[in-house]
Amino acid sequence: MGKAVAVIGTGQTRHGRRNDVSYPELVREAVKVALIDAGITPKDIEGVVTGTMPSMMEGVSDTHFYFADALCEVGKPVLKVESCGSTGQSIAHCGYYWVASGLADLVLVVGMEKMFEGDGQATMTTVADPWFMKPFSAGAPGVFTMQAMEWMHRFNIPEDQAREAAALISVTHHDSALDNPYAHIKIKVSIEDAKNAPIITYPVRLLDVCPTSDGACAVVLASEEKAKKICKKPAWIKGVGFRGEEFFLGESNKSIWPSATEAAQHAYQQAGIKNPLKELDVAEVYNPFTYQEMIFYECFGFCPRGKSPDYVLKGTFSMAGALPCDPSGGVLCTNPIGASGLIRLAEAARQVTGKAGARQVEGAKLALSHAMGGIDQFNGVTIVGAKL
Amino acid sequence: MRKVAITRFAQSPGAESRENLMDFTYRVSKEVLDKAGLKRSEVGCVMIASSDVFHSGLSCANAVDWDGSGAFMIEGTRTEDSMYAVIYACLRILSGHFDTVLVTSIIKGSENPDNDTLTGFFADPFYMRPLGINETTAAAIQMREYLQRYKITEEQCAKVAVKNLGNALFNPNAHIRKRVTVDDVLKSGTVSDPLKSLECAPKSEGVASVLLAAEDQAKKFTDKPVWIKGFGSSMDHFNLGDRNLLNGQLPVAARRAYQMAGIRNPRKEIDLAELCEPYAFQELLWCEKLGFCGEGEGGKLIDSGATQMNGTLPVNPSGGVLAMNPYVSRGLYRVIEAAMQIRGRAGEHQVDKKVKTALAHGTCGFAGQSHSLVILEG
Repeated sequence: MGKAVAVIGTGQTRHGRRNDVSYPELVREAVKVALIDAGITPKDIEGVVTGTMPSMMEGVSDTHFYFADALCEVGKPVLKVESCGSTGQSIAHCGYYWVASGLADLVLVVGMEKMFEGDGQATMTTVADPWFMKPFSAGAPGVFTMQAMEWMHRFNIPEDQAREAAALISVTHHDSALDNPYAHIKIKVSIEDAKNAPIITYPVRLLDVCPTSDGACAVVLASEEKAKKICKKPAWIKGVGFRGEEFFLGESNKSIWPSATEAAQHAYQQAGIKNPLKELDVAEVYNPFTYQEMIFYECFGFCPRGKSPDYVLKGTFSMAGALPCDPSGGVLCTNPIGASGLIRLAEAARQVTGKAGARQVEGAKLALSHAMGGIDQFNGVTIVGAKL
Repeated sequence: MRKVAITRFAQSPGAESRENLMDFTYRVSKEVLDKAGLKRSEVGCVMIASSDVFHSGLSCANAVDWDGSGAFMIEGTRTEDSMYAVIYACLRILSGHFDTVLVTSIIKGSENPDNDTLTGFFADPFYMRPLGINETTAAAIQMREYLQRYKITEEQCAKVAVKNLGNALFNPNAHIRKRVTVDDVLKSGTVSDPLKSLECAPKSEGVASVLLAAEDQAKKFTDKPVWIKGFGSSMDHFNLGDRNLLNGQLPVAARRAYQMAGIRNPRKEIDLAELCEPYAFQELLWCEKLGFCGEGEGGKLIDSGATQMNGTLPVNPSGGVLAMNPYVSRGLYRVIEAAMQIRGRAGEHQVDKKVKTALAHGTCGFAGQSHSLVILEG
């Protein structure tokens, strides 16, 4: 169905507080690296897809206008696609369908965020409606913590066990980030550090929470003919899926999270994956919060419902485990939101093409990438593989 | 390549609605599905068009729009502009992954600040914003250049407002509907010299929804499918000073769409056009760039009467954006109006001539930084 599509180039900026560059310069930094990686010039690009978080984040709206030059858009068709935190996956999917339609052979997909320009938590509070949700959904941690509590109670998970598992996830990812030259937070933390970090919203503590980062990510997608011609090792897109659920948080069951579950199922079906834990070699799960990451493991079928902490503590998802998750350190260590979901795809593509450097999972052939957005409302998944 | 059809559509009126955003959206999306006889759960994909800035003070426009547009737990996404949504929906169908896409575009202007308070946020914070550049001031610069370069007169520009607001009298959904004279327009007060008040689009409500389907499915939903024969878009530089405001990217976008649709002589082969003209003079300029007349001849074109409702090439029989400006949705309204004319079911604003091929155009950004167009055929 549709033409085959490959990731043939990826580019990322340095992340962190980037006072040294303007917003368009930051974007250009990622674009430049991706074009060099793909071995193409701006002239070769036939279409551009871009997206970020809402304009309140940086105070500039509809940035596909502002970044026209930085994104090599001039004279080209452009699509601006956005879906909150899941934007990174949504723009990748748009690029995928564009190439799959046969109307373009090379599409540039770019996500970006310069969060130190504004107030991320204030921005996210404006996602809620002004009457029912806004009064109590102060930014992201409040919402995600409620979800964590719901999940623990629903499956009778002892709080101590979940705490222990969350701490291990935090330690693992912070260690991984030390191996990732692009990562923002590079610190060595211990289990004790994670368990005793200041509380943000109980039971979530500081080291369970992602930072705010500046950064951009660019990915070049190519058709089969083009990829085979100009790329030695393309990462083939095997499946994509996106789902969204109710706007009002209280209306859906966030402990089993239908949108995450079905987005993954949709992608698995296309990729022919029946047993994800066995078949996937690595996963880049969108993990701004450690507790939430455990819910994703269950939604994606990596382990049975309510059993994530057991699997985490067994080391299943650590670097040496059966299914290493977020060898890049994930969103927990680097989070320029509009770019974060696309970084997951870029990392997954690097893993299956053996380009992940010190964070490479040996022999990875099939990888999952993912992003989440809204008030726990949206989930998008892309599967990439080394083989067509 | 697969063929994509417009099967069913619905639109809200442009005047202020008392409904809340979610109900307002739901009613229009539901109308389309009911007309098509399609269950929500059978829709392949929902494509929302809405904007973070033009969105009742809410961020992440897709979040609140999701339920009302019918996207709950089916594949879906959101684009920032409704013409982008139509194009992306076509790509999804052409990819073979989806047979049906419901495109719903959403804006409730009555809950928003003035358009230009919001378009001012397109400007970068360092150079353009301190100068007060927004969509209207940028258009005023473009208009001044247009008048001077080609000796177009202010009267000729005003005629566009006279024509379009007059056409709107016959369109029950239009927001501003009144008979005005050239003199009324010229005396309507300067907004940003040389633009007069009646030459600038209002701020309107507008939820519009279209069900697109692949060829083999289309007949299930309608007896009169309208085919999308081609589409094209292009982006210009950002800084106004880097651009040729009188020769931007519209010819590039048009070339793409014409090539896809197999159109060689647009003036002859296109029967009707619905153009996005938030500022009256832009209709004349866009007509030139689309190949409806020669360079600098936009003034002569309106003088000739060809673009009137009963002319040889009617432009904006719906009243266009001057009569109704639901910012994000305005492109999709053009597509729907063009499709209605092709089906011969536009009601009182149906043009006299037989319409086989029609063009729908959308633009956003300063002075037409981004242009998109779609060619439709009966």
